[in-house]
Amino acid sequence: MNKKIRIAIPNKGRLKKPAIEALGRAGIEILEEERAYVSKTSDPRFEAIFARANDIPVYVHYGAVDLGVTGHDLILERGANVLELLDLEFGKCTLVVAVPEDSAINSVGEVPALARVATGFPNITRKFFEKTGKQVEVLEVSGTAELAPKLGLAQIIVDITSTGETLKKNKLRIIGTILESTSRLACNKIAYRTFEKQISELLARMRGGSEKE
Amino acid sequence: MTAPVARIVTTRMPSAPEPIRLFYVNNVFRYSQSYLKREREFCQAGVELVGCNTPEADGEILALLISSLKQVGLQEVRIDLGHASLLKDLLNAAGLDKQQKVSVQGLLACRDSVGLKKFMEQNSFPSNLREAFLQLSRCRRLGEVSSISLSGSKYDKLNKQLESLLELQETLADYEIDDLVFFDFSLTKKIEYYTGMVFEASVPNLGLPLGGGGRYDNFIEKFGKLRLPATGFALEIGKLLQALTAQGFEIPESSKTKVIVASKFRDTAVEAVKLLREDGVIASLEITKRSLEKTMEYGKLTETDYVVSVGSSLKSPVTVFDVKSKVSRDVMLETFLEEVGG
Repeated sequence: MNKKIRIAIPNKGRLKKPAIEALGRAGIEILEEERAYVSKTSDPRFEAIFARANDIPVYVHYGAVDLGVTGHDLILERGANVLELLDLEFGKCTLVVAVPEDSAINSVGEVPALARVATGFPNITRKFFEKTGKQVEVLEVSGTAELAPKLGLAQIIVDITSTGETLKKNKLRIIGTILESTSRLACNKIAYRTFEKQISELLARMRGGSEKE
Repeated sequence: MTAPVARIVTTRMPSAPEPIRLFYVNNVFRYSQSYLKREREFCQAGVELVGCNTPEADGEILALLISSLKQVGLQEVRIDLGHASLLKDLLNAAGLDKQQKVSVQGLLACRDSVGLKKFMEQNSFPSNLREAFLQLSRCRRLGEVSSISLSGSKYDKLNKQLESLLELQETLADYEIDDLVFFDFSLTKKIEYYTGMVFEASVPNLGLPLGGGGRYDNFIEKFGKLRLPATGFALEIGKLLQALTAQGFEIPESSKTKVIVASKFRDTAVEAVKLLREDGVIASLEITKRSLEKTMEYGKLTETDYVVSVGSSLKSPVTVFDVKSKVSRDVMLETFLEEVGG
């Protein structure tokens, strides 16, 4: 097969730049970054695809792309069955449960039954509360979950935080941590079999690159 | 479908001569909570070979799997095969607790050799097992497994399992499919259920496995008193179609001719429809009282090839209208049947 190996890169947001840099260190320079969805790279065996970080786990799961750089949190949220070949260690964040500063709730255990939880991570949130035996109503919002308590939409939010600044600014307090996440190099399971040699080579170069730092 | 087959073997076929070879094509229902996998009903075709645990039985199943995939027209088929008991026993030999086993399986499944090495160092893995783990995770051919063996009588069972992979390799060579079967130590799914080989079939064009299977020697007894070893595979029909499409295969449209019979004489029309159907034509009767023109319009919308107008008797010619070209001609029904019949 002479197919090119397709690697998906976040098209915007905080993962984009470090993802491009990590590949660059491994010898894969993106050649036509601006406005292109599909871009040639300096390594003729690889082709870059720009997609939303959110969607990359799904692309990799179905093999629409062979490799992808995306967050561990997003892989779990989308329920994608992919190989997480490498922890790229950037894009560090924590998925937390938070309430308004003046809330009477101090821990996840104190969350009342049937509480409304606003989140951009409905699947992880549902699973998390199921595990604690709490029945909550999960409201899916795409982005700015921190707004929900202010508007009276929900008393609780589940959202990612890296520095805690946004939570603080919105007068929210963390009452529990669901998971820690970093960005990963995800790989389709069948693609790994097909391109094992090339992918192992890439991995070795990426590992070498991050160790030198 | 293995569970229903195991039940049938136990309850309905207790005295069937062994080995028993069974197949099925059936809709399977699953409850999946996964956000992605919404496949709750899908069609599966599979086989089970019950009552035998020789390498020949495993070889037969793999050979049948490969010939099935080739028969449906797929190219670049490959099978990746691991060994459930080998992995299970190695994990036990290393003296790992449940949580540690899950960690190792996760690292293997993610092909994280760096993480695996680190884990083994931190958890003081015996050095001989460490070497075996790393070697096995590097092996891609069943033949390469021959270089691995553990000394010491407590590893007899493990060594036997390694040997069984070699025997399987030899069987596959006789079927001339050994170049299509790859070893994959990281195949860890359903490790509690499978007891021997466990495998997945795939083609490079599709990102999901087409199906898989393995050996399950301790499963059938759960349904009753019969202790029978067994092995088998199942394929997902939907995935096969996706893979075929990805390889550029076009599913041929039905070549059957579609005809509407219109007539003022119901008895002749019914007779004509019957004769057309007997010859493999998709025929329907014009059951409304609309004009021939309207019937032609209907025919066009329903992708019908011909409208056939018949008179009071089939002994005289019928008028055949070509729906596309609107050209008509008078012809005996038998002659028309010879032209369009299957």
